[in-house]
Amino acid sequence: MSFQINQSSCDMPLSQSAIETTKIPYRSFCARAAAGFVLAMSISFIGADKSYAAEHVIEMTAKDISDDGFGNKLLAYQMLSHKIDGLDVTDRYSNAPTIPGPIIELTEGDKVKLTLLNAIDPAYPVAGASKQVSVHVHGVHYKILSDGTLRVINRKLDEGAGEGPEDTFASYEYEWDVAPGTAGTWPYHDHNYENHNGSEHKGLFGAIIVNPAATPRPQNSYKFSKEYVLYLGDDAFWGVEIDSTTKKQTKHGVNPTLNAPKNTDVRFHLIALGTDLHNFTLNNYKWFDPGTHNLINQVAIGPLEKHVFVIRSKNSTQYVDNNFSNKLLGMKGRFIVD
Amino acid sequence: MKEQIIKFNKHIAAMAVVMLFAVGFLSSSMAMAAVHSFNFTAKTLPNGQLGYATGGSDAEAVIPGPALFVKQGDTIQVTLTNSTAVDVGFNVPGLVNSNSAKATPGQTQNYTLHANKTGTYVYHGDNNGKELLGLFGAIIVDKKNGPIDSFVNGDGSIVPVTQADIDKQFVLFMVGSTFWGTEISADGVQKPLWAAPNLGAVENDLVRFHVLAIGPGHTFHLHAHRWLKTDTATVIDTKLLNDGTDTHSFTIKAGSGVGPGDWQFHCHLIAHMEAGMHGSFRVDAAGSGDGASVVGASPYGNILLGARPSEPGVVTLEVSDEPASWFRSPRGDAIVGLPFDIKSKSLEVMYPGSSVNFVMSDTNGVHTISSLLWPTGAHHMPFDQSAAYRGGGIVKLTTPGLYVFTCKVHPYMFGAVIVDDPETEGLDLGNPAMDYKIDLVTGITGLPTSSDLAVRLLRTFFVATSPSNWQDYSTGIWNLKFPTLPVRISGAPFGNIQDGGLALALSALNVVDAPLAVGAAPEKPGVGEVWVNTQFEKTAGKYKPGTTTVVDTTNWTVKRKVALPEINNNNPHNMWTNRDQSVIYQTQWFDTKLSMINRETGALIKNITVGNTPSHVVTLPSNDDLTIAINGENGVAIIPAGTTSVSKMLPTQAHGHTSANPHGHWVSADGTKIVTPNINTNDIGIYGATGGIHARTPTGNNAPGAHPIAIGMMPDSSKIYAANLLHHSLSVVDGANGALLKTINLIADYNPIDGSFADNDGNGAIAVGVLPIQSPVSPDGKAVVIAATGGQIVIVDTKTDKIVKMLPCDPGCHGANFGAKEGGGYYAYVTTKFGNRLTVVDIDPDNNGDISDAHIAGYVSLVDTPSTAKDDTVSSLPGFGGQGVLAVPNVYNGWVQNLPDVWKSGLTAAQRNPVGH
Ligand SMILES: [Cu+2]
Ligand SMILES: [Cu+2]
Repeated sequence: MSFQINQSSCDMPLSQSAIETTKIPYRSFCARAAAGFVLAMSISFIGADKSYAAEHVIEMTAKDISDDGFGNKLLAYQMLSHKIDGLDVTDRYSNAPTIPGPIIELTEGDKVKLTLLNAIDPAYPVAGASKQVSVHVHGVHYKILSDGTLRVINRKLDEGAGEGPEDTFASYEYEWDVAPGTAGTWPYHDHNYENHNGSEHKGLFGAIIVNPAATPRPQNSYKFSKEYVLYLGDDAFWGVEIDSTTKKQTKHGVNPTLNAPKNTDVRFHLIALGTDLHNFTLNNYKWFDPGTHNLINQVAIGPLEKHVFVIRSKNSTQYVDNNFSNKLLGMKGRFIVD
Repeated sequence: MKEQIIKFNKHIAAMAVVMLFAVGFLSSSMAMAAVHSFNFTAKTLPNGQLGYATGGSDAEAVIPGPALFVKQGDTIQVTLTNSTAVDVGFNVPGLVNSNSAKATPGQTQNYTLHANKTGTYVYHGDNNGKELLGLFGAIIVDKKNGPIDSFVNGDGSIVPVTQADIDKQFVLFMVGSTFWGTEISADGVQKPLWAAPNLGAVENDLVRFHVLAIGPGHTFHLHAHRWLKTDTATVIDTKLLNDGTDTHSFTIKAGSGVGPGDWQFHCHLIAHMEAGMHGSFRVDAAGSGDGASVVGASPYGNILLGARPSEPGVVTLEVSDEPASWFRSPRGDAIVGLPFDIKSKSLEVMYPGSSVNFVMSDTNGVHTISSLLWPTGAHHMPFDQSAAYRGGGIVKLTTPGLYVFTCKVHPYMFGAVIVDDPETEGLDLGNPAMDYKIDLVTGITGLPTSSDLAVRLLRTFFVATSPSNWQDYSTGIWNLKFPTLPVRISGAPFGNIQDGGLALALSALNVVDAPLAVGAAPEKPGVGEVWVNTQFEKTAGKYKPGTTTVVDTTNWTVKRKVALPEINNNNPHNMWTNRDQSVIYQTQWFDTKLSMINRETGALIKNITVGNTPSHVVTLPSNDDLTIAINGENGVAIIPAGTTSVSKMLPTQAHGHTSANPHGHWVSADGTKIVTPNINTNDIGIYGATGGIHARTPTGNNAPGAHPIAIGMMPDSSKIYAANLLHHSLSVVDGANGALLKTINLIADYNPIDGSFADNDGNGAIAVGVLPIQSPVSPDGKAVVIAATGGQIVIVDTKTDKIVKMLPCDPGCHGANFGAKEGGGYYAYVTTKFGNRLTVVDIDPDNNGDISDAHIAGYVSLVDTPSTAKDDTVSSLPGFGGQGVLAVPNVYNGWVQNLPDVWKSGLTAAQRNPVGH
């Protein structure tokens, strides 16, 4: 069975934003937004079927969680506060640390100020290791001081919260420029905990979804009834389901059962991490390979690659990683259409 | 530089335009097709790596090989002269090649290729993994006219670029876990950047990257830059380069939208990142830097016998399935040929600031590349990865001294690098600034290199990596030779220390022409057969090592050799058998397979993929299902009885947690529990046979890297015994709840500084077990027999959990398992890796329940005889590599009750029901 409505939107923005760039004086608009009219504008334009740059003020923390009963820990990000042009949207996130971490929805043209705190038990990990966490984001623009890496890499600072090998900060602020040309789904992850590779594989990962500027806001994913972010790890999927109307993020965890109303369009955001290479299938569905008109029913994906596709929900099925060992470990989940 | 923004209202339109262009170029290019001729020479570089050179015979070979830039429709003619000692081809996956033959050493071959498709292609030497040593390069086929690529500008526009727009290009090969680079200037001049370079550009330079991979796959990520998925308008910043050969070319505008900075590029596989697979892309602000790249580590650089001491050098160790040469220098033969009597091909020498590079080029398994010891105070130590993987590694070493690397999965794989201070006489074995001391991964710091323990470790290295130092009982004589080079160590007592710490050469420890005799066979026969994995024995009909040697215990002769040449049987490691004892299950530890063998004929029944690096196999006594520890991964594979494929893998850790990497597991007598020693997480895991984690009990008193490696269990499953290889201890754990009951120190009686033995633990026996491996409990539950690779057999009384006896064992003592003794009681069969006889231990000769009189009942040569049945001819290392051992019939409680009557009839009543007596 093959169902597909249209191009997955992540490859549309480039052409559209290019048009946008020529139509409106983008930079001057941003300058105005940054000059302090943000709040007033956002209030007056909320609900308007038009695209504006917004300012996101985000505060996140990192915690140690999920003691497995035998003293082994994972790490996770937690959203503390997310305001869009002053409007508090924190309730779309879980109020606990989750794996994957918060999925942050942005639109081309937006600006982000993300402050990261560190609430990991200082007794962990081992002595001598870096106790600093960071957020290193993919896809969007940022200057070197927002790279979220250790000084040994960026030659500037240990860019995170907590005790790094050279620099210590109680909190660290990152600035992202969600510039034109950055639409798409991108991972963010730690780069500093324990060592300069970070601890992304211990649970410190999340994603941003950058919608194209030309799509109307605030309902810029109106086309999709549900969105799913599925991280492919070395033994399981770590997923989250997002209701496109309420923006609520639920079902965090391992191999989640995903739900979709029948005959609606839903969007999958796959990202891999760890050491394994994967081969993903959503049994009995086909979709367009992003940026092409090739219908595919499986995709090879490696760590920190992303693969975004849209299907119309018709029948319940399973999503599966066909990597030899992962499949035997039961790395799959249910996709329930009702 | 011209920039033109093209806007696509609809993707369809874009594709149509592209197709139109393509057709146009294709037709025009046919008319203008050029023929490019290249003279290639394959050469051996100073560090033993291989590479291609273009130009005359004096031209220097480079890694990656010369990049070939051609246009679509062109013809490429390559004349390849092979100056190496191995066959070399010129294979280009994706392009039609006139010739698939390889040039033998000294020979020349011609290859004609048609560049009919645009794209980036790998060319390589096509020589069974040797191409990963440097015989690879890039062919870039661009469109004949017009733009060759597009980049994503900082303002989001997609800008086409022509060749003339490009400021510089990089070829980056991802090989093992190392980047090998070439920089190509705007005028086409190619400059080798060698291994692990740092790239540079000036802000807004248009830089084209050609990222290629050969061997195990990778993902390439460059911080803060975006580019296009090939032939689409989709923006990406990470790209999979899949296993085999794969390529990805893209263009970026340096720092566009993000500004200057040291932007990291790296493989995004965690294990590869941990293995050093990263570099910096430095973007200089215009006017504040020249954007120059920093050349990496060169095979011509500052290493022993290197050509250019002023440049950072690189030595390479190939990870191999080959006995003794598990970390083999590609110039190992030359090093062995030096006049210093070095017998090991796994020892390299270089100078501070150079790097050691690892590449898993000759193995079917997964591994880690992990520090075992290093000079006290050395940077970048310990080198380690959090999971086993396929790939390699690279690390720069600046502190003089000895660095020994191992694989955590296969902990006798050893490779060593001496970083020598060229200003001093003798080789530095420790850090000169720290009195030549070393640190061990097990938490021992500041160990003098003159200590008995340090010398033992050195001896172990030179035995394990030098087959000529092994004890071959078929020759009747034993020579143990160490290098004649003088070394600098900490001081007394070892050696004749002179001012400045110069010691006698290690060859002072040589053993010369010592007589070697197998010894007498046990007087009393055993019952049935003993199957021994002689894992290093080589045979003529296959490339990979290993046989299984079947001993007839009624007359103590070698009855059969099972080599399985038809499947290139690779390092057979451990075995179990089915209920009726008709099928032997055997793991291939450096591979992905489990073999099923007909016990009576030695014929292969089935070779089954079970997962990366399977170590041990045990059946569930309750239903005869197979449980296979997947040592390179994170679970126990299950093959249901009577079937021949894995139905599921039981995870050995909670989701997302560090992979446990179980090695030598055991199963409770009732078949409900699987108990694994988890080498990567240093704990004992107790799991339900149908799933579920019941307990995870840390071993080794929280010392780092205790490395529990094998499990034994009481016949009533009341207690679990785990040998901790690197902690030299035996953990005793409650079989019901996993509680740690006791940790028995196996080296309490050993003084690591002066090497003296004394009854320090006051248990009445002077007994030491250095590097314990297998620790089975006798079927009657009386004794734990521990095979310690340091060359001892240690016996523990389960009533007191105290050591009662130490017996001698050959170097590399490894496997132990019990079989029935004729007329009652049990023999423990003990194998050794670096000797070729089987040691038979009688744990209770007078069968009175007191095991303090345990003794060696006799020995059996594992070398084949004219009367030995075999499926292949033994070619070298006869009978060596003893590891897993299995007695048939299987007389452990829980299994013995399931034996067919024909087997039961040979056992005493007590043997048939060991718990009831
Ligand atoms: Cu990699
Ligand atoms: Cu290994």
